[in-house]
Amino acid sequence: MALRQTSVVLVAALAALVAGVASLTLGAVHVPPADVLDALAGHADAGPLREIVLQLRVPRTVEALTVGAALGVSGVLLQGALGNPLASPDIIGVTGGAGFGAILVLLAFPSAVALLPLGALAFGGLAGAMVLAIAWSGPNGGAIGRLILAGIAVSALFGAGTTSLMVAFSDRVQSAVLWMAGGLSSDGWSGLSVAWPYFAIGFALAAVLTRPLDRLALGDDVAESLGVRPRMIRLAAVVAAALLASAAAALVGLLGFLGLVIPHLVRLAGGTASHRYVMSASALVGAALLLAGDTLARTVLAPIELPVGPFMVVLGVPVFLWLLRSVH
Amino acid sequence: MTLSLRRCLISAALVALPALALAAPAGAAPTRIAALTPFTANTLAELGVRPVAIGQTLGGHDRLDPRLKGVPTLALSHPNGPNVEQLAVRNPQLVLSAPVWRKGEPAMRRLGMKVAESDPASVAGVLTETHRIGSLVGRGAAADRLARREGAEIAEARKGIRRHPSVLLIMGVGRTSYAMLENSWGGDVVRQAGGRLLTGGLRASGGYAQISDEAVVARSPDVIIAVPHGAPSDLPKLATYLSNKAGWRTTKAAREHHVYVATGNSLLQAYTDPGRTIRDVRTRFLGN
Repeated sequence: MALRQTSVVLVAALAALVAGVASLTLGAVHVPPADVLDALAGHADAGPLREIVLQLRVPRTVEALTVGAALGVSGVLLQGALGNPLASPDIIGVTGGAGFGAILVLLAFPSAVALLPLGALAFGGLAGAMVLAIAWSGPNGGAIGRLILAGIAVSALFGAGTTSLMVAFSDRVQSAVLWMAGGLSSDGWSGLSVAWPYFAIGFALAAVLTRPLDRLALGDDVAESLGVRPRMIRLAAVVAAALLASAAAALVGLLGFLGLVIPHLVRLAGGTASHRYVMSASALVGAALLLAGDTLARTVLAPIELPVGPFMVVLGVPVFLWLLRSVH
Repeated sequence: MTLSLRRCLISAALVALPALALAAPAGAAPTRIAALTPFTANTLAELGVRPVAIGQTLGGHDRLDPRLKGVPTLALSHPNGPNVEQLAVRNPQLVLSAPVWRKGEPAMRRLGMKVAESDPASVAGVLTETHRIGSLVGRGAAADRLARREGAEIAEARKGIRRHPSVLLIMGVGRTSYAMLENSWGGDVVRQAGGRLLTGGLRASGGYAQISDEAVVARSPDVIIAVPHGAPSDLPKLATYLSNKAGWRTTKAAREHHVYVATGNSLLQAYTDPGRTIRDVRTRFLGN
């Protein structure tokens, strides 16, 4: 990596580190940094402060880092695989499916709220599988246009299902609003304990795909001449993105912004579209941005917590617009 | 009929119609009234007015006045409230609505219906709104009597409060805590029943806010009351879920098994018997 890209990765890593420290030390309740360190080292006395650090802040910080990275990487995978700068997890139907699964649990089976991440994962996966099955079957299977259209149709289907649920259970809509606005919860490790295999497989696939995606960027014919099978790479990238995006949606709700904007931001900052660089930098920037947004959202009006979505937009959009304007 | 005679008749009608309208008493109380909230429906029943339609009480009819049996029910849905065609068929002169259905009110007004919002968000508001509804429907004296009775029942229900436990009151279910604040109906009822809201003097638009779990753990409420959605058979499962939520399990409420799941709508919206609601909260949840 050139100096410019290395600098971007280092700055992003530093930002994620600072956001992590802020997330562990700031909150609705003042916990002195020394007590945070004691709790992390296992030296803190039993009590509410230790509970707050170990049961609420640590899982939430890890969740934000993982989800932010997953959304950034899934955006890179989709934009790279589809050759479309507007591609994001929303476009392959996964977010719509996960949204339907979560709202179904929240509104129709509220007593099973503990199953919310599982419901979101199951329906997010189902939506992704439907899109893949439609896009890869029949004549011209695996074509980019076919995949995008299938994604739009499946998204619309699950979107209509979500709206129908909200109309049918209109007295319960309040429970769904915060989830739809997107945000993290202090729910301990319960969400990550369900979703971690999806993240693990998704990140592993993404790491393997960096070089093939670079070759795919040269065009299908050139990629084939270099020994890459474009349709197979595209399928693997979409599967990885679907795993990451559905797991992310299961934990934080609908935060499509990160997946769309972060890869662009990283490319603009680094001045290259090399997937090795864009993938790692997007993971770090996504993690830093989501963590910083979440820390702001839960401290600015503490003890009231605000949805994280608007805060991420407030943090990310000015930087993105500045880069867009300043980079030629 | 000749053309000139027809013109004469039309002219006469045009002159007579405004005169007839003026002859009708301008301030005459409406007789055809639709009540969209249980509070307004029950208040009308108490005042001896039978509405032409009532809103479907979301979550059940457990506290609807028996005198309203047989009154046509209108399904309500966010954000417009009733289907305006179904409402128009009942031909109400006055619709007693609520802020939550405000988006549908312009359509009602366009159809010539008078619309008034009445949905108390505090116990004191019940008395004020009772008087207001009484004057809107021309039953001022009956409303005075009803408000006096409600006031006496509230005072009776609040007698002898011995303890003031700290209370977290949350609405709905989800992975985040959506707290009912002091400017919500449920929050005010808990305060009137002697509870100290964990959220203190916090207020927010609508009376609800997502509250930090850190604050819940640090302030460790004596009692947690959830006002959920779902069937009564699901309530024990919900109580177990809440008691074992990360962090919450260390609160005094969870340790001492004072995590409750409320049934019915009485903590979500006002009825005409706030004294009974206060008494229920004291007996079932606060034990004070």
